[in-house]
Amino acid sequence: MVSTIQNTDVKQKEADRAVVVAVTSRAVFDCGADDGDEVCEVGVAFPLLQALQRVNERLLEENPSESLLFDVVLITSDSQQQQQSSRIISNTRHHGLEISRFCFSSEEDFTESLLKNNVHLFLTTDRDEAAQASQKGVFSALLNGKVASSEQLRVVFCGDAVIRTDTEPPSASQDAAQSFWAQLGEMRRRFGMLDSPLSLVLLTSRGGRESCGTALQTLRSRGVNMDEAYSLAGAPQSPILSLLRPHFLLINHLQD
Amino acid sequence: MSLDPVQVMSGQVKELKVGPSSNGDSRGSWEEKEEIDQDNVGLTTKPKPVTGRRTRKVEGGVFFPKPENAVTVAVSSRVLFRTEREQKVFEQDGVEEYLRFQIEHENEPFTPGPAFPFVKALEAVNCRLRELYPQSEELFDIVLVTYNHAHVGIRLINTINHHNLFIERFCMTGGSSPIGYLKAWQTNLYLSADADKVREALSEGIAAATMFTSEKVTEVSESQLRVAFDGDAVLFSDESERIFKAHGLDKFFEHERDNEDTLLDHGPLKGFLEALGKLQKKFYAKGQRLDCPIRTYLVTARSAASSGIRALKTLRAWGLEIDEALFLAGAPKGPMLEKIRPHIYFDDQMFHVEGAAEMGTVAAHVPYGIAQKHNAKQNISVRK
Repeated sequence: MVSTIQNTDVKQKEADRAVVVAVTSRAVFDCGADDGDEVCEVGVAFPLLQALQRVNERLLEENPSESLLFDVVLITSDSQQQQQSSRIISNTRHHGLEISRFCFSSEEDFTESLLKNNVHLFLTTDRDEAAQASQKGVFSALLNGKVASSEQLRVVFCGDAVIRTDTEPPSASQDAAQSFWAQLGEMRRRFGMLDSPLSLVLLTSRGGRESCGTALQTLRSRGVNMDEAYSLAGAPQSPILSLLRPHFLLINHLQD
Repeated sequence: MSLDPVQVMSGQVKELKVGPSSNGDSRGSWEEKEEIDQDNVGLTTKPKPVTGRRTRKVEGGVFFPKPENAVTVAVSSRVLFRTEREQKVFEQDGVEEYLRFQIEHENEPFTPGPAFPFVKALEAVNCRLRELYPQSEELFDIVLVTYNHAHVGIRLINTINHHNLFIERFCMTGGSSPIGYLKAWQTNLYLSADADKVREALSEGIAAATMFTSEKVTEVSESQLRVAFDGDAVLFSDESERIFKAHGLDKFFEHERDNEDTLLDHGPLKGFLEALGKLQKKFYAKGQRLDCPIRTYLVTARSAASSGIRALKTLRAWGLEIDEALFLAGAPKGPMLEKIRPHIYFDDQMFHVEGAAEMGTVAAHVPYGIAQKHNAKQNISVRK
């Protein structure tokens, strides 16, 4: 059973233009045992939501009638969290988070709530959940376990390109990935080179400069201009990732 | 790339084929089929075992050495290539125009900059190392570290392709400081046109030097890498220079004589000389001492009979061999360097750097030690 509650404190976004980002409530709030204390600890996704909000604020500054905004939806699927629904909602208010909808479902049908809400990107700390969502054609990404500290929304795309044969049709998830990227690209173009609240970062791990170059060109042909690019050519990722401080890493689709 | 107008107007843009890239390939879209690199992403699920994918072995040689095994040389785009025209656009017209200009000229490769011959020579050494030790990762690894935006990336990659350089690793930081990345790459030497970045690197313990573009450049060897170092405040600390500046030449000689058996402290480029020495020994081990493709030089104002002794004793105690030590006893360095023809010469004093450049030697400034306070007025203006 899936239910959706609209947050009346927040102006709802235009459904066909907004970039809908769903996050699991477990990642946003760490509501401990029911000890009566209303306020929950913030989780790993909290800085991310703040960064998404800042992008929205800046977008509206540039154009008050902007409709290409992030639309954040909170997904609650485990039964423990379900019982905390009122706390989740009140904590959202308390922390001033711009979450437009709360979706409650069981663990089995959380993907249904993703599809019903036309989610463009689903973020979770749980790899299995991400894989499940991906199988249903929802572009999913894993949240950076280390809390990112930058104010700027930093999106890192791990793009090790391979030549795709034309006989392989893109999976639904791949399509979803590409359209999400196109949306981000468009959002990025609303800002100048300096002082952007959003930074798009390309990271290629395996191939050499050709892979990176091809990825840059391909992305550009889709209207996505990267701000930063790193070609590792086999060097260890973690030193570079800890400097990049991404809020989340996007890999094109999750392997089943 | 041409779009079918019907598709565009209906608002359903199907899978677009990428137009041919500048070298004529046409690729499909950019999915990768790859597993997530779980162990590096800080996730809560259990890590996968790390396979040996970090080095890629290609018939007869290692392409991608691990940073801790390689001698990593990081170069900025402005020293590897000549970018004066673009710098001017940046200064006069701002960043947006600069990037537009770069994209417009994307298929025009940059011409070689001051670090170019040095990088080519590093690659020549790598070829020889691979012949002798095909499985070894003890090679030079050249990384392009630039604070340019990724918009310039394609032009840089095209340029690297054009000049047949073997650079597969880079960081385009889009404006943020590259210093953190230098550490992440375990950089052994950083070359940049920006003196502030070089100073920052030095303060983080990374050997670094500022390079300048000069019109006069003498030809250098393509088969033997030659690296020349000043002594004080480059290989050694600036201890003796402090004495000289404070108390004059006589006091300097006296101090050196009295302390002949005390080792000098190390300077910022000692580590790089050490790294070169390790590679040299690999050639010696295969009987190639006479034919070694790396040659190092000490070019110092010290004199052989007196103050030079302490320098030599220090090097010996450090276990560092230097192929040729040239004690100039205060004579100008330019003519000597012109004879040696190093690919790069490191000095802490701009006076010597400029003197060398006048005679066509590629000289790099190490902004370290007491001499910098006296050099403040002589700074070559570094354009951002």
